[in-house]
Amino acid sequence: MAVIEVEDVRKRYGETVAVDGVSFTVEHGEIFGVLGRNGAGKTTTVEIIEGLRRPDSGSVRVLGLDPVRDRKALRNVLGVQLQEGTLPDKATVGELVRLYRSFYADGHDPHRLLADLGLDHKRDTFVDDLSGGQVQRLSIALALVGKPRVAVLDELTTGLDPRARRDTWELIEQVRSAGVTILLVTHFMDEAKHLCDRIAVFDGGRIATLDTPAGLVARTHGESDASLDEAFLAMTDDEEPRR
Amino acid sequence: MTDHTARVEIPRTGPGPRAWLALTAHEGRMVRRDTAGLLIPLGMPLLIMVMNGGGDSPAAPGLGGMTQQTAFLLPMAMVTVVAIVGVINMPSFLATYRRYKILRRLAVTPASPSMVLVAQVVVGLLQTLAGVVLVLVVAAMMFDVAPPAAPLALVAAFVATTAAMFAIGMLIAAVSPTPNAALAIGLVAFFAIMALGGGFGNTANLPDALATAGQYLPFGAGLESMLAAWLGEPMNAGQVGALGGVTVVAGLVSARLFRWE
Repeated sequence: MAVIEVEDVRKRYGETVAVDGVSFTVEHGEIFGVLGRNGAGKTTTVEIIEGLRRPDSGSVRVLGLDPVRDRKALRNVLGVQLQEGTLPDKATVGELVRLYRSFYADGHDPHRLLADLGLDHKRDTFVDDLSGGQVQRLSIALALVGKPRVAVLDELTTGLDPRARRDTWELIEQVRSAGVTILLVTHFMDEAKHLCDRIAVFDGGRIATLDTPAGLVARTHGESDASLDEAFLAMTDDEEPRR
Repeated sequence: MTDHTARVEIPRTGPGPRAWLALTAHEGRMVRRDTAGLLIPLGMPLLIMVMNGGGDSPAAPGLGGMTQQTAFLLPMAMVTVVAIVGVINMPSFLATYRRYKILRRLAVTPASPSMVLVAQVVVGLLQTLAGVVLVLVVAAMMFDVAPPAAPLALVAAFVATTAAMFAIGMLIAAVSPTPNAALAIGLVAFFAIMALGGGFGNTANLPDALATAGQYLPFGAGLESMLAAWLGEPMNAGQVGALGGVTVVAGLVSARLFRWE
């Protein structure tokens, strides 16, 4: 059963074409990677799936819902972690999780969720006083507290140390095994390779390649020891990646 | 209870009363933990009232021993409370929420960001009410205070003033690109309407055009309407109309211009 269906979506901002005919589907229980450089159209595509932006043309369905027309229904079953999503400094971890829990008819118990995310000892700590990894885990908690059936995670592990990244990956795999379909937006090849079942490589507003991690590597080099990094660079332009 | 593999009925309802309550309580905590924003609207009007309240001035007619000075200072302190909360504090909060994408984060939950606006207004009203009660209690302890001659008219004038101040605050929140801009615009607007409205003393020395404008801006219009109600005199219909006009125009324009991100 396809959970996310994107068909020939286009979006331009003035003269700039951000998304230029993107189509893909994400199956139930899949971790689907959206990979690409800055400006490749990843974020715009994801924002269209979330219903934050309206496509100029093309169609999007999430669990059969139109993200714009059925936004009310979709909000109840879609968990989102936004890139650079900031939380109020002067709220505590526990307060925020309880607040977000109140938005949903059904959801996780805030105590259990914080314990599962290793944040229970930080329940009374202000966001201001959390480490980068803890803020990231809190934002994942807020994305999951409404028991979403689809989770969109943007720049999941940006700014985390290697240990925290590994822990976060483990967590995402647990979430998936609970039946949640995950759309993962990332810059990191190792992350995509580790977590994703399939990866769409975005370039210039289009999907350059869509394959499994192993398939992506094989497709460019045919050598098993080629890194996904190299595959990625070969698939996108040969200019220097923008920072 | 939810089998993840089965097709599940998706609720189409928005957030219920529990979410509204939780969000309002959350905004209350945010305001409470912003120490300056909590104390200035409560303290500054009191300070102005107490520092100016000692002098001898003739008793106001028909109000027992209450002096004209006190009759002026009380509504003046009340208008100052609501002006600080509505014109300075609220837009600064909302601009900060926009800047740090807090509104955008809420837009992808069942709670819409407009709920934050409502919650901020509710909390601002509660803070205003607390400030007004504080003003009245301190005034009653320090001065001879007679109850207002027309209490209902006083309440109505204060409600109209509050609506106008909050509408201006929403307008500032709508047009400010950054939190700093919101604070700057809020402060300038506050001091301008306060100075022109007689908050820093007599406006007789101002150019006529400015003094007249000040009478119809929300500080002057609110202050004079409330003073009239306290003394039992008829309110100036033009000033009351100006309060309503500011509320409607600023409210509509801010609704049109408000940016969520």
